[in-house]
Amino acid sequence: MNASRRLWVGLGVLLLLSFAVLLWVGGEIHRVMPPIPSAVVTENGTTVYTRADIQKGRQVWQSIGGQQLGSIWGHGGYVAPDWSADWLHREAVAWLDIDTQRETSQRYSQLPEDTQAAFAARLKPRIRNNTYDASTDTITVSEDRALAMSQVAAHYESLFSNDPQTLELRKAYAMKDNTVMTAENRAALTAFFWWSSWSAVTQRPGKDITYTNNWPHDTLVGNDPPGHLFMWTVFSVMFLIAGIALLGWHHARHKDEAPPELPATDPLALIRVTPSMKATGKYFWLVIALFLTQILLGAITAHYQVEGQEAYGFALANYLPYSLSRTWHTQLAVLWIATAWLGMGLYIGPAISGHEPKYQRFGVNFLFTCLLIIVVGAFTGQWLAVMQKLGLDKNFWFGHQGWEYVDLGRFWQIFLFVGLGVWLTLVGRALWPAIKKGGESKSIITLLFLSTVCIGLFYGAGLMWGEHTHLSMVEYWRWWVVHLWVEGFFEVFATAVIAFLFTRLGLLRTSTATTAVLFATIVFLSGGVLGTLHHLYFTGTPTAVIALGASFSALEVVPLAFVGFEAYQTFKLGSATPWMQRYRWPILFFTGVAFWNLVGAGLFGFLINPPLPLYYMQGLNLTPLHGHTALFGVYGLLGVGLMLFCLRGLKPNVVWNERLLKTSFWAFNIGLACMALFTLLPIGIIQLTAAIDHGYWFARSAELMQRPIIQLLVWLRVPGDTIFSVGALSLAWFVLRLWIGPKQAKLEVPQGAQVAKR
Amino acid sequence: MIEFYPQIKSVHIAAVMASGLLFFLRGASLHAGMTWAMAAPVRYLSYAIDTTLLTAALMLATLLHQYPFVHGWLTVKVVLLVVYIVLGTFALKRGSTRKIRVICWLAALAVYVFIITVARAHNPAGIFAAIPQLLSTST
Repeated sequence: MNASRRLWVGLGVLLLLSFAVLLWVGGEIHRVMPPIPSAVVTENGTTVYTRADIQKGRQVWQSIGGQQLGSIWGHGGYVAPDWSADWLHREAVAWLDIDTQRETSQRYSQLPEDTQAAFAARLKPRIRNNTYDASTDTITVSEDRALAMSQVAAHYESLFSNDPQTLELRKAYAMKDNTVMTAENRAALTAFFWWSSWSAVTQRPGKDITYTNNWPHDTLVGNDPPGHLFMWTVFSVMFLIAGIALLGWHHARHKDEAPPELPATDPLALIRVTPSMKATGKYFWLVIALFLTQILLGAITAHYQVEGQEAYGFALANYLPYSLSRTWHTQLAVLWIATAWLGMGLYIGPAISGHEPKYQRFGVNFLFTCLLIIVVGAFTGQWLAVMQKLGLDKNFWFGHQGWEYVDLGRFWQIFLFVGLGVWLTLVGRALWPAIKKGGESKSIITLLFLSTVCIGLFYGAGLMWGEHTHLSMVEYWRWWVVHLWVEGFFEVFATAVIAFLFTRLGLLRTSTATTAVLFATIVFLSGGVLGTLHHLYFTGTPTAVIALGASFSALEVVPLAFVGFEAYQTFKLGSATPWMQRYRWPILFFTGVAFWNLVGAGLFGFLINPPLPLYYMQGLNLTPLHGHTALFGVYGLLGVGLMLFCLRGLKPNVVWNERLLKTSFWAFNIGLACMALFTLLPIGIIQLTAAIDHGYWFARSAELMQRPIIQLLVWLRVPGDTIFSVGALSLAWFVLRLWIGPKQAKLEVPQGAQVAKR
Repeated sequence: MIEFYPQIKSVHIAAVMASGLLFFLRGASLHAGMTWAMAAPVRYLSYAIDTTLLTAALMLATLLHQYPFVHGWLTVKVVLLVVYIVLGTFALKRGSTRKIRVICWLAALAVYVFIITVARAHNPAGIFAAIPQLLSTST
């Protein structure tokens, strides 16, 4: 068995085992997830909430943007509080007040510390006690607790209305007035918030940890990190070091082959651009349009942190509230990057095989039209939902699903899934002749093809939940999409594409590239597939999730520790031949990808991903620190780099304005670094200290987030964001000038140039 | 946030002074035939000062609830800022002849000084707001 075949077998076995374990974990989550009772009743038999209330409450929450406005179990936005943690603390204090006023005529906060401690000690077992009765499918609460719940519910009903008493808090949380339009829906919303906090404080049957593994941290109710979080954190560091050692050993043993004889001229210049390849140009215009819009929405979203309902005197929340600007900002991030990659796939298919299938150009144009319809349709539905004009019955299908990164209504989700199917077909039929032809390139093209299949099919994981599927199961499938789809198979696709491009440029031997790509795929999928579980530590899952998630997500960091090798090799290839100057900027963007892979994905990712750190850090500003630097730093720069590669081919005779690209490249990198270091990291650290010292609820509270130092740090985003925007505008101007008034250069194409078959 | 008002205002004023001074020096040097004014470090310094200035300006607007296109004096400042930038570009780079560059440089400096008077007076007329008052005193 040769090396390539061995690696294929290894990859197959790895995927089989990893997905078997991942599916088993899904079954386990389903088995132990917190129950949604048919009724919550008091000891006297009064019904407080019903299952219908809780489910309707979740629908209401989803319709206002769900995870885009505050968070539940730590997943979601960062300006409004985590509703589970906030409710839990408020309920605990309200219950303590009831106790203390009865016995001392004073509020809990007015008592001396030792008396407070005595009351808190009495509260803990009562609030943590699991009173769910499976035989009657009910949760029973004491009369005192029911009273405390009603007080917290009243606060939330006021907050989500236009009550002037809670106006300042709405501003601090970046909520529009009448976030939920009707009193009936506001009441239902409280049922869902309560259930999520009940799950966070109620101990699992027969165990002393809650359904959410004691998350969120709140000493008042006995939510402290359980021992296994510490244990698996330590083990994860150990696995990381072991993984680095193993990979280092592999690199030490691996001898670099002598580079191939380099071609005298650019081999890619020999590729004739077919009509369907030409038609991909508009994908890149769309990329630029979506990217610029995303930046604008990012600026608006950030500004809401300092003026909760306005932007420089304009009542913006009446037209574009925070939850909507954040929804579109996060969705556009995925959409423009995905569009760049989709365009790249469509361009590279015929370029690889030299075959232009029948009606391919029509397919490319048809898919582009579908993409436009999906973006406009889904965004319109989300606007109608958040503005509370759609109604709960239509929201799931056409409005806002409320799940971060998978926010679009189910109809649009299915449409996008079909669109990805069309893309897969278009790329597949163009690649097929090259795969059938066999030869040295077969392996790497097959991997490329399989990654397109996975990109097409794995988005389907987002269709695995329904309107009323349990929150724990929705989170499980949602992360299949966000982690596996984006961080897994897009990564395979990108690695294979870049390696393939280098082989076609004649800079790498095909056999070397194939082995390297297969090995890299095995290395990052060995951590990547089960690493998905690190998102699920506190979403009503069993302890196995923590063990597996911690161990495998540590392995995700292993290849990133050696990313310097890749960066150096890539950078070196950029000057391998004189004609590689033509690809200088795509190469530099790929080098930037390597840098942010180490910093954004590796360092900032590992900062938050082990169980114990994440227990405190989930949903603090350290999460967007990782999110921005990894999503844009890695996938964004990669998207731009791949786009530039295609543009080089699409416009071979145009002289590139290198100054614009230079400005763009450095502005992106410096702007991103400023955003990370001036704002997200320092705010995250302040919040982390607050979460450890006072509890998670406090780290997310208006009391902390409205402090002058935090507001000042938010403002310090402006310099970085301005620099970043200059980069985006430079890139946009560069792309525009390729079509409008371009400077033409005479390209020397060698004799015997291959012509792509029509 | 209002707690930081004095510091933010100081940063804003310092950035205004630095920006104007640098522009004056760059223009004067260029017209004297020196090339350092367009060197990369000088250009980056200019960008850094202007970004700081912009950040402080946005913070002050939000803190004081005084906004461009809502309050006249700030509207005038923003509009004249655009004029200043365009004139500045022609003064340092785009002006086709030396004469055009010098005129643009002087005009930009005049606009710069006028913007400061608008800011000082919190009045769209800036220094000219004082003219009716002076006339009435003299009569």
